[in-house]
Formats: sequence, C-alpha cells, structure tokens
Amino acid sequence: MLNASVGERIAIAAASTTLAILIGLLVVAFAGYDPAQFLGNVVVGAFGDANALARTLKFTTLFILTGVAVAIAFRAGVFNIGVQGQFVVGGFATVVAILQLAPFLPTGATGGVLLMLLGTVAGVIAGGAYGALPGILKAYGDANEIVTTIMLNFIATGVVGYLVDGPFRGEGNRAPNTARIPEYVSLPRVVFDVPDFSVVGLAVTLAVVVGIAWVLARTRFGYDMVTSGHQVAAAAFSGVNAKRTVVATMTLSGMVAGVAGALFAIMIQGYYSDPAGIGTYGFDAIAVSLLAANNPLGVVPAGFLFGALDSAGSHIRINSDVPVQLIDGIIGLVVLFVAVPELFRMAAERTGLGGEN
Amino acid sequence: MDLSDRGTQLRLGAAVGTVLLVLAIALARGWPLADIVTVGFVERTLQAATPIALASIGGLYAEKSGVFNIGLEGFMIFGAANTGALVWIIGGESPTQADLWVAMGLAVALSIAYTVLFAVLLIRYKANQIVAGLAVWFIGLGFGPFTAVLVWGNRNSPGLVSMTDVTVPGLAEIPVVGPVLFDTSPLVLLTILVAVAAWVFLYRTRYGYWLQAAGENPEALDTAGVNVNRVRYAAVIFSGAMAGLAGAVLLAHAGSFTGTGQTMVNGRGWIGIVAYLFGNYNPLGAAAAALLFGGLDMLQIQFQTVGIQFPNRLVNLFPYAAVVVVLTVWSSTRMPSALGEPYESED
Repeated sequence: MLNASVGERIAIAAASTTLAILIGLLVVAFAGYDPAQFLGNVVVGAFGDANALARTLKFTTLFILTGVAVAIAFRAGVFNIGVQGQFVVGGFATVVAILQLAPFLPTGATGGVLLMLLGTVAGVIAGGAYGALPGILKAYGDANEIVTTIMLNFIATGVVGYLVDGPFRGEGNRAPNTARIPEYVSLPRVVFDVPDFSVVGLAVTLAVVVGIAWVLARTRFGYDMVTSGHQVAAAAFSGVNAKRTVVATMTLSGMVAGVAGALFAIMIQGYYSDPAGIGTYGFDAIAVSLLAANNPLGVVPAGFLFGALDSAGSHIRINSDVPVQLIDGIIGLVVLFVAVPELFRMAAERTGLGGEN
Repeated sequence: MDLSDRGTQLRLGAAVGTVLLVLAIALARGWPLADIVTVGFVERTLQAATPIALASIGGLYAEKSGVFNIGLEGFMIFGAANTGALVWIIGGESPTQADLWVAMGLAVALSIAYTVLFAVLLIRYKANQIVAGLAVWFIGLGFGPFTAVLVWGNRNSPGLVSMTDVTVPGLAEIPVVGPVLFDTSPLVLLTILVAVAAWVFLYRTRYGYWLQAAGENPEALDTAGVNVNRVRYAAVIFSGAMAGLAGAVLLAHAGSFTGTGQTMVNGRGWIGIVAYLFGNYNPLGAAAAALLFGGLDMLQIQFQTVGIQFPNRLVNLFPYAAVVVVLTVWSSTRMPSALGEPYESED
C-alpha cells in the first residue's frame, strides 16, 4: 500500500466504505426494513444536529488517537494488535491516579487542570509500559508480537475487569465501576454543551496527530523507525539498533493509546467500568490506520468516518427498529474490505477506471 | 508426539505443573478433592473442550499451510447462530434430535460458503490476513446477534434442543471410563476421532506433507508440481468448516443461542488459537491443550459447588498468560516460515 498514490488510497477507502454500506443496505432490505429510511437514520444519527455531531466527534477523537497508535507501529513494520489493551490499561491508570491524588491537591479549576495533567501522564506511562512489554518480548525473546499483543488485550480486559469489580470498586457502587472522579476534573464545555465531549479533547487529539506526524517525518528517531520497518538491511547498515527500535516503537505506540485511554476516562466516562463493555476502539483502530495507509494525518478523516458510523449506531439503537447490531456488522465489512486493497485495484483495472495503472 | 523435543517437554511440564499446583493447593487447604474432581466434572471438561479442540485443529491446518486464520472466533459465532436459527426454522417450537443434526450440517455448509469467500480474499486478492481475520470477528459479533434478533426478536434464543447423550450398552457400566466415554454426547466422540484423523492426515499422508510444505517452503512444493494455492484454499476452507462445526457443537451442547456481550462463543475461538500454539501445531497437542483449558473453565464450577471462592476473571486468563510465556521462554513454537506471505507461481 505504500506505493499507492494518495488519490488511489482515497479511492480505495471510498470504495471499501461504499461497498460495505451497500451490502448493509441489501441486508436491511432483505430483512424487511426500508433501506432508504435506514440510510436517512445513519446520516441524521451522525450529523443531524449539534448533539449528533458532538457524539460523532467524541467517537472520532478515540478512533483518531488509537488509529495513530496503530499507524506508528505499522509504519515501523511492527504489528501492534494490542492497542485495545494499552488503551484500557492507560484509561484505568488515569482514573486511579486522579482518585488517589485528588485528596492532596486543591479543588476547583487549578486542581482540576493539575489532576487531568497528572492523570494523563499516568495513562501515558501505563499505556507505554503495556506497549513496551510485547516489544521487549519480541526483541529479546523472539515472541511473535501479533500473538502476544492479542493475548495481552485479553489479559488487560480480564485484570482491569477484576480490579473494577473488586479492589477498586467505588464505595456503595452496585455496578462493577470505580468511584467517579471529582466533578471539577472535567474539560470545559465550549461550542458543544454536552457532558461527554469537549473541543479541548479534539484539540489535544489533533495536537498529538501533528506531533506524531512531525516525529515520523522530520526526526532521526522517526526516520530510523520507518527505515527499520521497510528497509531492514539499510537500517542495520546505517547503525540502527533494530531491537531497541522495536521496543521504542511499541512504547510510543502504547503511549498514544494511553492518551486515548486518558481522554476516554476523563472526557467521556468520568470513572472506569468493566472494559469488556467499553467498545472495541483499539481493534477498529487497525482498520482506521489501514484506511489511512498508516499515515497519521490520513487517520483524521478515517477516524471521522468510523466516528460517524459509531454515532449513527447510537442513534439507531434508540430511534429505529432495525437491530443496531447491523451497524457493528457494517463496520466489520468496512474493516474486511479495507484489508483487501487489491480487490479494488483489480476491479478498477478491469473496468478501466484505474487510469495510469 | 515427539517427547524428546525440548519444547514439547516444556509444554508437558507446564501442563503437568499446573495440574500438580492445583492439587497441592487443594491438599494444603484441605479442600474436599473427591467432591471437586468428580466423574461429572470430567464429563463436563470433555464437553467444554470439544468446541475449542475442533476450532483449534481447523486453525492449525490453515496456519500450517501458510495462512493465519484469526477469524476462528467469528466463524464460530456464525456456526452457533446459524445452527440455532436453522433448528428453529426446521423444527419450530420443539425440534427433534434429527432436526438438530440437519441444522448442524447445514450450518457447517454455510460456514464453508463463507470461508470460500474469505479464502478468495486472502489468497487470490492477498488480503491482510490479520485485519481480514479481525473483520470476520466483528462481522460475526454484528451479524450473529442480528440474525438472532431477526429470528427470535431478541439477541438470545428461547430453549431449543440439546444433543442427548449416547449410551453404549454394557460399556457404559464400566466405572469412571464408562460414563465419561460411553455415556456422553456423540460430539465428544466425534471430536476425538477428528483429532486422531487430523494427526494421521498431517503426519502420515502425502497430502499432509503438501500442507506442511505450503507453509514452510512453497517454492519447493511448486517445483514438485503441486499447486500451492490450491493446498491453501483447501486448508483455509477446512478451518472455516471446523470453526463452524465448533460453533454448532457449542450450541448443540448448550441447547440455546446467547447473543449478548461477546455472544456464547465468548473467546473460545481465540482460546482455540492459543491451544494450537500451546500444542505446537500438533493436532493431538492442540486437543490436549483444549482439554486443559476446558478443565480449567469447568474447575471453577466445581469450586463454587463446594463453596470455594475464586476470582473467575483471573483464572480465565491462564491460557492467554501461559501462551505468552511459552512463546517467549521457548521460541520453538516456530511459525511456518512462509506464514502470511501470498504465493505467486513463477509460471
């Protein structure tokens, strides 16, 4: 995919999404519902009013950050399938840090900002460490990172699920959740007056994107990472320590997943719950990253697309009698088609739409 | 299984060690062992291991041929949901055993149809195997419960029908072995047969060598005049059929479909992958690992019945943690060298 032109990538992304939605509409029609109405619900659910847009942007921030985390690793030729686990561990660490530190800091805006910063740092450290682990196992133990990261996802979900159920359950909580973080630890409501999305969160997200894009394109470290991913021999000759690069890549990837976890904890939930039920952002992020050809800037529109689909799902859950599981299935189909760029390339060649190829 | 291999020794050691550790803890704490390790427990362990072993053997064949099918979980969800829906369509409110067998057969046929499409995307169109496999999981998590809502108006089905045990007259009277092997679900026996047959096929037939060569050295296989991609198609389609069967078996043992949360499959397809890695790509090893993981799962029920509290969530993580350790400490779980690489013939 790295050889594909930007135009071709966009065409492949558009074709994957369109084909997935078309199949979804066929299923809707086949199941006896009205596809036109369903499509209308998708659009209204994603962009219909300020609330829908805020919800779309809320999911978008998570997909962008987790997508960038995946992109970092994939660019370096390391298959970090463990972003979901790093996201979970990071978010949980954020909540725990804020709850533990809150009694020692002033309340009010100052304390709130301080706690959010410290919580995010905790999330980044935890996510980074949880990403570094499979990196170390790969570099020094020769353990395939695809398998270990998948396993570490389950371990993260299981352990955090156990912790929020038992040792870290908030006092008097009937549900397996931690205590709520204090009221004043929250992002300001600017532009959108909703409790779980703030444009500040979006701004942080975009800042991370720009920062990572800069690191990958303009720094020695980023250059080493990308060459060791695609020109192993060249990287070795220019003196890059391949093992250390793998660990550094996985750590950076996990740190960005940790930012996503912190944002999820602070902006969206305000506490931590059983991670089995929080959504598969870290898995969908793999598709987001591929859709963007693993380019951090391309992750922004790709994340927006997934955000819109998720948001449409939330709307359809309430306002339509079409089972909402259909949206999950359609997202799965988008992921499937994104994995097969060759399908669309061949189709384009057959029909003569491919042009210069 | 080659017992002289250090990797195999390590695995066996780990398995035996786990069992001994559990026993030691039980003795030290004075737990009523006789109430925990009952004949019923062994029977339930075998039943729990069955779907894991089937999916595992399928996944192992695909991976041996050079294609990583991490969509096992998704194919299992389809297998379970389709079996449930078909049994309802065929047998209505009170389906018979025959209806169940027919539904299982049709569900496996459907799984084969899905896997043919999947295999074409992977092999002909060189899809990214990891992403496409994850996609199958998502599609299963979406469309499995979706099917349930369409058929029953709910993500969970009402009680349908479950597989009745087959009793072999005479043999069933043998203490312990009788009830475990000769008075049990025929699907348990089927799985034992599949595991042995898969082992013989892989290590004792020409086709088995083709399969291994497709994953290890496709160029050599091509030179020998065997179509590499045809071997891979066969292996991937087999893996989908086995995963579908695993889902069908799960439903046949449970007697109803559960589509909430992670659905009734609930990670068993992933454990299947763990099982063949743990069993070092050996069908019998994979089946043994499935037995170990199934036993661990059922042990918790035993503990509950005798009143011992255990954090289930943590105990369930054992297979995942164990496979990370085994992969790291002993890298002899060597994946097939051409794994994940599309093969294009030179001619």
